[in-house]
Amino acid sequence: MSKVIDLSKIATKLPLALVLLVILWLASSLRSEPQAGFDAASFAKIPVLSGGRIKPIDTVARTSLLMLSGKQTLRVDERSVSASAWLLDMLFQPDKADSYNVFRIDEPEVLGLIGIQQQTQTTFPFKTLAPFTAEIGKQADRAEMVESVNRSLFQTGVINLRNKLELYFRLQHSARPLVGQNAVKTLITFEEDLGTNEHSPQSAPQSSPEAQRRQAVLQQFQRSAGQAEFRPLPPPAPGAGWLPIAEGLSARLKYGKMPLGLLSFAQMADACRADSAADFNKAVSDYLSALTLNLPQVVSHAGSEEIFNRFEPFYKSMLIYVVVFLAVSLYWLFRSNVLNRSAFALLLLAFAVHTSGLFLRIVLQGRPPVTNLYSSAVFVGWGAVCLGILLEWIFRTGVGSAVAAAVGFITLIIAHHLALQGDTMEMMRAVLDSNFWLATHVVCITIGYSSMFISGAVGIVYLVRRAFDLGWSDEAQSVLSRMVYGIVCFSAVFTFVGTVLGGIWADQSWGRFWGWDPKENGAMLIVLWTIMILHARAGKIAGEKGVMMMAVCGNIITAGAWFGVNMLNVGLHSYGYMDKAFDWLVIFVCSQLLIMALGFVPERALRLARLRTARSS
Amino acid sequence: MDSQAAAKFFRSLGSTWFSLICMGLTMLLVIAGTLAQANMGTFAAQARFFNSFFVSTHVGGFRLPVLPGGLTLAGLWLLSLSSSLITKFGFYRRNFGLLVTHCGIFILILGQLLTQLLAQESMMAIEKGQTGDYSESRRQIELAVTQNLPGEQEQLTSVPGSLLTPLRTIELPNLPFSIYVEQFFQNAQLKPGGAAGPNIIELPPTNDDDEIDNTAALLQIKEGAKIIGRFVVALALSQRQEFSVNGETYHIALRQKRYYLPFSLTLKNFTHEVYPGTDIPKNFASQVHLQNPTTGESRDALIYMNHPLRYAGMTFYQASYGKNDTLSIFQVVKNPAWVTPYLSCAIVTLGLVLQFSLTFFRTRQQSL
Repeated sequence: MSKVIDLSKIATKLPLALVLLVILWLASSLRSEPQAGFDAASFAKIPVLSGGRIKPIDTVARTSLLMLSGKQTLRVDERSVSASAWLLDMLFQPDKADSYNVFRIDEPEVLGLIGIQQQTQTTFPFKTLAPFTAEIGKQADRAEMVESVNRSLFQTGVINLRNKLELYFRLQHSARPLVGQNAVKTLITFEEDLGTNEHSPQSAPQSSPEAQRRQAVLQQFQRSAGQAEFRPLPPPAPGAGWLPIAEGLSARLKYGKMPLGLLSFAQMADACRADSAADFNKAVSDYLSALTLNLPQVVSHAGSEEIFNRFEPFYKSMLIYVVVFLAVSLYWLFRSNVLNRSAFALLLLAFAVHTSGLFLRIVLQGRPPVTNLYSSAVFVGWGAVCLGILLEWIFRTGVGSAVAAAVGFITLIIAHHLALQGDTMEMMRAVLDSNFWLATHVVCITIGYSSMFISGAVGIVYLVRRAFDLGWSDEAQSVLSRMVYGIVCFSAVFTFVGTVLGGIWADQSWGRFWGWDPKENGAMLIVLWTIMILHARAGKIAGEKGVMMMAVCGNIITAGAWFGVNMLNVGLHSYGYMDKAFDWLVIFVCSQLLIMALGFVPERALRLARLRTARSS
Repeated sequence: MDSQAAAKFFRSLGSTWFSLICMGLTMLLVIAGTLAQANMGTFAAQARFFNSFFVSTHVGGFRLPVLPGGLTLAGLWLLSLSSSLITKFGFYRRNFGLLVTHCGIFILILGQLLTQLLAQESMMAIEKGQTGDYSESRRQIELAVTQNLPGEQEQLTSVPGSLLTPLRTIELPNLPFSIYVEQFFQNAQLKPGGAAGPNIIELPPTNDDDEIDNTAALLQIKEGAKIIGRFVVALALSQRQEFSVNGETYHIALRQKRYYLPFSLTLKNFTHEVYPGTDIPKNFASQVHLQNPTTGESRDALIYMNHPLRYAGMTFYQASYGKNDTLSIFQVVKNPAWVTPYLSCAIVTLGLVLQFSLTFFRTRQQSL
């Protein structure tokens, strides 16, 4: 007797199986591998103050490495090194770190400045740049005299390189006083010298050898004051702020005791110098324990952020969106329902990961979800996926999943590139510092962007299916038409309310409801366009196809309002990456125009083409 | 026949076509104006595109209107909205929500037009410990002619900058002399060594948003046909110049237009916080003392980001600062039409909620 394996029964379990597989993959990334040697993973959890907010060293390391090299990990001798491990070497073994390839230089003319011909290698170590730092500085000063709009590729490139060198310098100087000597011994000697002075006030304080030695060490520390990228020493007294290592000894004199952390960092420095992993790991764990006793909330907050960094929720959900899109494409090819359900299940999982990332950001920053361009990209993706899920739930044709995955993926790629500019959880400037308006106006407008992109994506589906006769039927047309109408109504409401709320915020802040600012104008264009679509449809001036073409045009207008206005340089700084971003914007606009052009192909021509293909097949 | 034509005309004004034309033209204007801002600066672009009736371009010596300007379009919108409210919506219960929404938009546009005409924006810069009792317009200038009066008072005659056109004689009532404008330049550079003072060299108007044009003029003070003196006045020349007519001493200076306030503000303290280790501003705050001699009010107030001082129909916002945190600069706004956007937003939201509910309940009824 042969056992009949019921394939169809197995197939129905596919969605669940895929979801479990992905969950396993996500969970594996959360596990931190026990590290042989130096425990960079624990070092990463140490909270420090940088850029005005308290964050784990991991964030400082990742953001810095990202800004220097464009990646969050480093390749050294065929191995992948984490950002925190790299920062460890930067701080305590700077000579070793100087040979790591971290400086990414793309511009051939800048490479020429440092005497290198353009080749396959794109990242270079500090050692290669060291002889040219003065020249780079000089060229950058000269380049800065030119208005940012008019700068050549070389000028922008050399300014970026100079900024990178400054960041590199500041990172290394954050622990400079502890490097190149027996740091713990120096601190103990300092303490003893102070003790001598306190116990024998008769001896003239300035001339004794202890006082002189003490003064020399103090000066050596203070030389690096003001040059640190981050401040690792917690406040030595209530009301004081976090301190850089350079001010550690001054704090000792001012507050009467060695600030918490100074000795620990000295121990770490010595352990690295002596290449003793055991001593280093002990110093790190002792310090974290001491901190947990004194500042438990700070440690747990920094720990959460380190987990968030490691989890990389947006990168992960971006990858899952790709799988979703592939699954829907396969569904459309093979018409197997199980594929559609798998795609939807994976979409829900990706959305959950995406949401968890956003939620963590809100908790970590203590702010509404959208605070800068990076978070706007993440949120636009989130809103779009939300709408796509709703569409799929109602209509169940696979279109909803497909547009959700496509828009989700594209916006997260954009976000990934925006993250190259620095700390994505940076502090808000004073005038933007209002949680109420950030939660209402900004969220409304961003949801408006999401819905415009979703309606545009459905419009693309309509026009492509019509032109290439992909499952083209009256029912398909009706479904897509109802989708777009519903979403455009939604867009109209949210973009209008969002724009008016922005005006009200401006009125409350500086007394002017409408200032014809490019960003305001961009929002106004989106509102007008959604209203035009609705009026054209109601007045029967645009038919079903016309509405779809207008919806795709909405993509162009929204992209222009979101990014294009930043590129006008009206009273804004020019960002180096904006040149590349401008190229991509142009490519995007052209692609949308091409798709709109598909709509102009007359019905008759399409019918003839269909007949011809039917006859030949 | 006439009434039929009138009705037809009215209906076309209220038609969807006309509303689409209004919207489309507005979009074109906004795109053109925004792109122009990058080249000519915000203020010039606004004046050319949004605060005008027509946007023109020069073709062979003629001014050819290319687009309707912001003011014209606002008028067209109001026309379209009011016509459609009458001809299309009536008071049909089906579209009542939309009718309310369109009323809200009408109020919004009307309000913005009123703001354009009535609002007054100026700046007030006060140094720590000093008292200010006037604010200055950023863009409007005045020629200030002052005469000392007994008792430490001054008589001020203010000539609006718009009257200063070349080769024009300005008669001053109550004063025994007139002013003849020999030269006038919107933006100029002053170089030493002219007959009546510095040499004025014309410059093109600035398109940098952070700079103001250095407006300059060469004036003649005339008593009848006799020339009492020739003076060069300019915004950069803050020192006023003296002359005498019939034994009376007068002073003259070109300055940004002042709005004198019936009360005064004294800057007691200014704080500027940054996030530690950065120069990202966290907060600016000014502590001021308000003194109103008419009402006898004398109190302290705190003005900081997103928290202005509202007093006597004016609002004082913390705008900027300078001189190493010893100078605080306020934006002073007087706008009687300020309530219209709030009202409009509420009405539009109400209308949308109404429309949605009406449609929702209607479909529920139909399916039952």
